[in-house]
Amino acid sequence: MSNQLVIENVSKQFGAVQVVKHVNLSIPEGKLVCFLGPSGCGKTTLLRMIAGLETPTSGRLTMDGKDLTNVAACERDFGMVFQSLALFPHMTVAGNIAYPLRLRKVNQQSQSKRVDELLQLIQLPHMSNRPVAQLSGGQRQRVAIARALASAPKLLLLDEPLSALDAKLREAMQVEIRLLQQRLGITTIMVTHDQREAMTMADVIVVMEQGRIAQIGSPLEVYRDPVNEFVADFIGLGNILPAVPSGDQRVRLAGGQQIDISSARKISDGQEIRLLIRPEDVCLKISAAVGHDDLHSSIGNNSVPGQVSFIRDVGSSLEATINCSGFSLTVATSPREVPGLTIGTQVLATLPPHACKLIDASPGRLAA
Amino acid sequence: MTSLALPLLRRALPGQLTRLTGVLATVVLILAAMPIITMIIMSFGASDTLAFPPPSYGLQWYRAAWHTFMSPDASDVLSMGQALGTSLMVALATMLIAAAVAIPAAYALNRFDFPGKGLVEQFIALPMVYPLVMLGISLLLVFNYLPLELGIFRLVIAHVILALPFAVKNCSASIAGIGPEFEEAAYLMGARPLRAMFDVVLPLMRPGILAGMLFAFIVSFNEFTVTFFLYDVDTMTLPVWLYSRTVSSLDPTVFSFAVFIVLIDFGLIWLLEKLVGDDGVAL
Repeated sequence: MSNQLVIENVSKQFGAVQVVKHVNLSIPEGKLVCFLGPSGCGKTTLLRMIAGLETPTSGRLTMDGKDLTNVAACERDFGMVFQSLALFPHMTVAGNIAYPLRLRKVNQQSQSKRVDELLQLIQLPHMSNRPVAQLSGGQRQRVAIARALASAPKLLLLDEPLSALDAKLREAMQVEIRLLQQRLGITTIMVTHDQREAMTMADVIVVMEQGRIAQIGSPLEVYRDPVNEFVADFIGLGNILPAVPSGDQRVRLAGGQQIDISSARKISDGQEIRLLIRPEDVCLKISAAVGHDDLHSSIGNNSVPGQVSFIRDVGSSLEATINCSGFSLTVATSPREVPGLTIGTQVLATLPPHACKLIDASPGRLAA
Repeated sequence: MTSLALPLLRRALPGQLTRLTGVLATVVLILAAMPIITMIIMSFGASDTLAFPPPSYGLQWYRAAWHTFMSPDASDVLSMGQALGTSLMVALATMLIAAAVAIPAAYALNRFDFPGKGLVEQFIALPMVYPLVMLGISLLLVFNYLPLELGIFRLVIAHVILALPFAVKNCSASIAGIGPEFEEAAYLMGARPLRAMFDVVLPLMRPGILAGMLFAFIVSFNEFTVTFFLYDVDTMTLPVWLYSRTVSSLDPTVFSFAVFIVLIDFGLIWLLEKLVGDDGVAL
């Protein structure tokens, strides 16, 4: 696999504010890479520098070894879908899709052939003469993608392209875009602040925090092994509990509970760390269903007692908040696993050692 | 007015309120239309005096106006036809030059941040509040100081200054509604900035540009005060010509001519509404 686009030590400064700080990144060919982060983390600026709409303050971009840093946007031959889509309202669907071809002086016949081809691809045949204003949200979305693909670009850039759609249509489009991307094998960079969207679509997620890359990895890597509290908190629901090391492979939680862990990480005594456990990894038992002796023996066994304070039962899954001594725990399970669970129920939450990860506490962040 | 109207409004029931606003609107409309209505009534008068309302009606002033228009007599310094021609030419030139200046100005003011931007905006709007008589005198001094003979362009330059706020405002309003992503999308697809300007920005700005151009035309076509300081025998515009006919003795044919001018203005405003529609026109 060759590395198509390489970003080397790129920074961007707007006035006194450094928006992107020394980013190094390779975009593997044919993959969908997602820049993920909260608003203001520099992900859009980084994408705009790749597009050629902003010039890096320092650092350089190369494409197949050729320096791209000072190449104008109109000469990069990338396709881009903007957050607002930016379809030209004074042109028809066909006019929009054919515009990049017109600029390349493709003859009329090839233009209309390519437009038909793309309309097939986005499943909107017979729409070519519609004015853009008459299309629905989902249709506009597809036309914008078709237009970005029209000149068969080397790279497809998507800047939060689905943010204008309602939740249901957005999920459908996520799958559709992902399938299209895989079918065409086009290298794609997408910017989003929606971690579900990133996990649905991406091969590689680049989590950004305050202009820096916090972590690069596959969706599962980022979810399972976040490098710090910020990433753990941003990706998915997580229980991030303040912890203090108390011996080999053992930590003490805020309420004094001793928890065994199986982590390869070396931690020095007294260092403040966080224990991360995902809601679906916590095992929940109703205390009344556990025998008195069993209850006592299991408390020593990575289990903490608590009381249910909130339940969200959406039928297919159940989410409960458990108040334990010193912290609270979010647990996700199936409603069938814990019949009769109500607010106030005494429960026993087990944290399996293999599911407990130790992560660094992000400086300046309060414990969740 | 407010001290009287407010307690009235407050006491009024919803039904009475509609009636009250209806009455107020009618009064305002009548006040606005009064000069035009007076002018139209007078133009159909059939007496030699300027009594209002005219004791009898007829088309004699239209006949006289037509006669003046077709075969100007020697007492006229300039024929109305010539004045009309000058007016149209000045208005057309003003419209084109104002557009040529306003489009890039509006683009720059909206897209770029540069030192002195606020000052430039103030300067463009200045002619709207500047006393017109002073503007006329200042321009006269400047033009007379210049070693070259500007001819009709004395008027065009003055009219462009007066029309520019309207043209720039209309162009600005339309470009403010077009996000930079339209141009950026065009760049990404391979368009150079100038090409993107012509393919994307200008077509999207069209309603604003056309409204600005029409405003420039109307402002120039009706301009009197500044023109009065700058015209000479060869460059008399229609409003100045009309005025010249009323200086020594008020000749009722001017009413017929004025009706004709108002018709042209109405036509232009109708066109403006057509072009801009419900998007609204920035004034």
